[in-house]
Amino acid sequence: MQMNDSQRIPAAKEKVWAALNDPAILKQCIPGCQSLDMSSPTEMTATVVFKVGPVKATFGGKVTLSDLDPPNSYRISGEGSGGVAGFAKGGATVRLESESPEVTILHYEVDAQIGGKLAQLGGRLIDSTARKLAGEFFTSFAAAVGGEAEAPAEVVTEAEGNKKSWIGRLTGAD
Amino acid sequence: MNDMTPTREQREAKLEGMGCKRKRVEDIRFTQGKGNYVDDVKLPGMLHGDFVRSPHAHARVKSINSEEALKVPGVLAVITAETLKTVNLAWMPTLAGDVQMVLADGKVLFQNQEVAFVVATDRYAADDGINKVVVEYEALPVLVDPFKAMDADAPVLREDLAGKTTGAHGPRKHHNHVFEWTVGDKDLTDAAFKKADVTIKEMISYHRTHPSPLETCQCVCSFDKIKGELTIWGTFQAPHVIRTVVALIAKIPEHKIHVIAPDIGGGFGNKVGAYPGYICAAVASIVTGKPVKWVEDRIENLTATSFARDYHMTTEIAATKEGKVTGLRVHVLADHGAFDACADPSKWPAGFFNIVTGSYDFPTAHLAVDGIYTNKAPGGVAYRCSFRVTEAAYCIERGMDILAQKLGMDPAELRLKNFIKPEQFPYHSALGWEYDSGDYHTAMRKMMESVDYAGLRKEQAEKRAAFKRGETREIMGLGVSFFTEIVGAGPSKNCDILGIAMFDSCEIRMHPTGAGIARVGSKSQGQGHETTWAQIIATEIGIPSDDIMIEEGNTDTAPYGLGTYGSRSTPVAGAAIAMAARKIKAKAQMIAAYKLEVHEGDLEWDIDGFRVKGLPEKTMSMKDICWAAYNSVPPGMEPGLEAVSYYDPPNMTYPFGAYICVMNIDVDTGVYKVRRFYALDDCGTRINPMIIEGQVHGGLTEAFAIAMGQEIRYDDEGNVVTGSFMDFFMPTAVETPHWETDFTVTPSPHHPIGAKGVGESPNVGGVPAFSNAVNDAFSFLGSTHIQMPHDYWRNWKAAKNLGVFA
Repeated sequence: MQMNDSQRIPAAKEKVWAALNDPAILKQCIPGCQSLDMSSPTEMTATVVFKVGPVKATFGGKVTLSDLDPPNSYRISGEGSGGVAGFAKGGATVRLESESPEVTILHYEVDAQIGGKLAQLGGRLIDSTARKLAGEFFTSFAAAVGGEAEAPAEVVTEAEGNKKSWIGRLTGAD
Repeated sequence: MNDMTPTREQREAKLEGMGCKRKRVEDIRFTQGKGNYVDDVKLPGMLHGDFVRSPHAHARVKSINSEEALKVPGVLAVITAETLKTVNLAWMPTLAGDVQMVLADGKVLFQNQEVAFVVATDRYAADDGINKVVVEYEALPVLVDPFKAMDADAPVLREDLAGKTTGAHGPRKHHNHVFEWTVGDKDLTDAAFKKADVTIKEMISYHRTHPSPLETCQCVCSFDKIKGELTIWGTFQAPHVIRTVVALIAKIPEHKIHVIAPDIGGGFGNKVGAYPGYICAAVASIVTGKPVKWVEDRIENLTATSFARDYHMTTEIAATKEGKVTGLRVHVLADHGAFDACADPSKWPAGFFNIVTGSYDFPTAHLAVDGIYTNKAPGGVAYRCSFRVTEAAYCIERGMDILAQKLGMDPAELRLKNFIKPEQFPYHSALGWEYDSGDYHTAMRKMMESVDYAGLRKEQAEKRAAFKRGETREIMGLGVSFFTEIVGAGPSKNCDILGIAMFDSCEIRMHPTGAGIARVGSKSQGQGHETTWAQIIATEIGIPSDDIMIEEGNTDTAPYGLGTYGSRSTPVAGAAIAMAARKIKAKAQMIAAYKLEVHEGDLEWDIDGFRVKGLPEKTMSMKDICWAAYNSVPPGMEPGLEAVSYYDPPNMTYPFGAYICVMNIDVDTGVYKVRRFYALDDCGTRINPMIIEGQVHGGLTEAFAIAMGQEIRYDDEGNVVTGSFMDFFMPTAVETPHWETDFTVTPSPHHPIGAKGVGESPNVGGVPAFSNAVNDAFSFLGSTHIQMPHDYWRNWKAAKNLGVFA
């Protein structure tokens, strides 16, 4: 699954960058995050409660920051296991662009894979859930950094946009 | 004789024998919720087991940590492959000659594979324990697409087979190759194709699906340490085979193993195999000294215990321009999943797929099947069909329609032109079978007349013209299907399971007052054996069906039988029942002759007893003979009236039928409507027409499900995306069409009562009828073959691909 989107944040690029590297802010903004501890400047361990359809599970895993280009971009990736609920892995490439000294546009490209019961039972709900979670994260993030939230832009889901019709998304058929 | 003497018709009716629409005796308990299923077995101190399963389709298992799980209140044990190795049971043999992991040994090969077995005081505690078992995996590349399985760079799935160039069925040509099986004359067939006026070639897929019985697979194992005896209650379609397999792999003497299959809530092939749950429950019982119950949930059933089909059949037919078929060439890519756990007779790696020449007189044919491993659940069971027969019927019936389309011929006419003729029976097919009997033309013509086939074609032509004029968005399809099944496995000369010949058996014991019990080696899962077996005996020995109790499923009391699947019960066990009854009757005749003071040869059978030829008033009823058998037998004769028969069938039986499906499809939505479905079956002698009708209804409903949506689908990561009834199509009364049934009767010449089996025919014939209807509907728009399942979305997509929205 892949998603592309951007979020307008009323804060300077450097401030946004600092927040993106701040475990406290990330913890506050990641939906369902129970803990996020930094073990090195680029490595964190996290516990997240994740719910898709009928499956709810606590995921434990590690988060890694890579391709760092301060204060412009990085890649945040992670993989976690939810025990019997399954596993998830994926990441996001985040790029910051100054619109003005006080406004930053945050672009993100997310790719994710899930497996196990989550994929079996929540299959038809995953895309919509992932979009919702991404939206929640960046809205919270914008609020935490800029003090106010703006509505997220229209999400373009690349894989679906190119390959599947709306019925394809509904039925999951190819 | 006075007026009170019953007439012959009354005496006949009282028996409720063969041909009678006797009400199902088992339904009295089933409809009142008084059935006794495995989950109803509750023993003192019974524990419950449940599996930790792999979320990965292919991964190395780096570690399993049970520490936290064992702290969960109620959890008593966590069994892993390491535990099982101490009793040499980490792997088990499959019915197909392969081996299968009982619990993940080093790696997992399909999603939801069994990794550890948690044993607890109740099911909830077991589930809580599962959540606390920590398994560390290292994901490996996943192989889902069967067509990529034999690529040079395909991931190696079965490391245990490294370096093995020979498997149970001959040479292996790739690390993911299971077997190659070839039948027929390749040179002659290739020559026929060179000479042919017309040929067709199409890759016809029969997708992976699942029998999904309402009651899932389950067992209760109870090991008695003092006696050294193991008792297993389980959902077994073949209880005796399970007993023998357990004896062989657990090294417990066979007389100390008691296998009991109580009432079973549907099997459809899913309950033939031996599953890790059985082994783990047995080991857990031996380890803990307590009974252990294992009950699958729905997701586990759909994703881990035996699937069906997954055959990808490249089909070629050669013909003259007049439409006479001259050759058939089929290559099958058979996706067996992670282990070859196919439930076929052992010598038949692709079952009886070589029935693929169908009902047609092919002078030559060649078949090659390549079995391959993928990261999917193991299995390959006969889901309401004889072994791989429904795949074969689908292959040839789609092929014939595609040929008809290419020739511009009517599909029914093409079939009539190529049928094996009545005078050709017994018929030797190009792929090696001897068809015992058949009258295909009569059945086909009866079907065509019953539905006004010509009228339907006329309507279709009008509708197509109206569609082209833009007056309607609805298209109409006629799905013709004419199938020949091969059931009743089978003769010991070519059928066995792990070396056990596929006979079946019956033991009849008549009591002094004229009632009796018959124990049979088959095992009903809903087929109604308690009703129909008694009817065979009633007709054979003249004792009313109601006075015969039928018992199956307890290996201590039932004679050894190979169980119920592949429509083998009536052809094999049914024959054993008739033969045992005839032994009873032969002894009864000696007793009657003695009592009536005549020579045996002076007696003749008359409905419910013997009478002296020429002296119709001098009779002795079977009921009276039963009394005499215990109390006044002829001098020198042993008292009692019992008989046992083990029946080794001389040949298979070959039921056939002519089906048609009339369907309309709205091209803008893909929504179809089954307007009419007519099924004519010829199952030979009809024992209970009501049960036959019920069997046909059930089989057609499953055929409808499979053809129109039911599928086990995997995504690229090996996730099962149709693992619950939310996504796996299970038709209810709402979706299910109305069924019309009809019949002809061509008795099997070699079967004692001429019966051939029917339970599975409607699935075998039904699937091609539905698929041909969809394909026929779209054919005038330029389509040749649309793969199953034909759900609304795929129909809509087919319409889109054919440009009807332009």
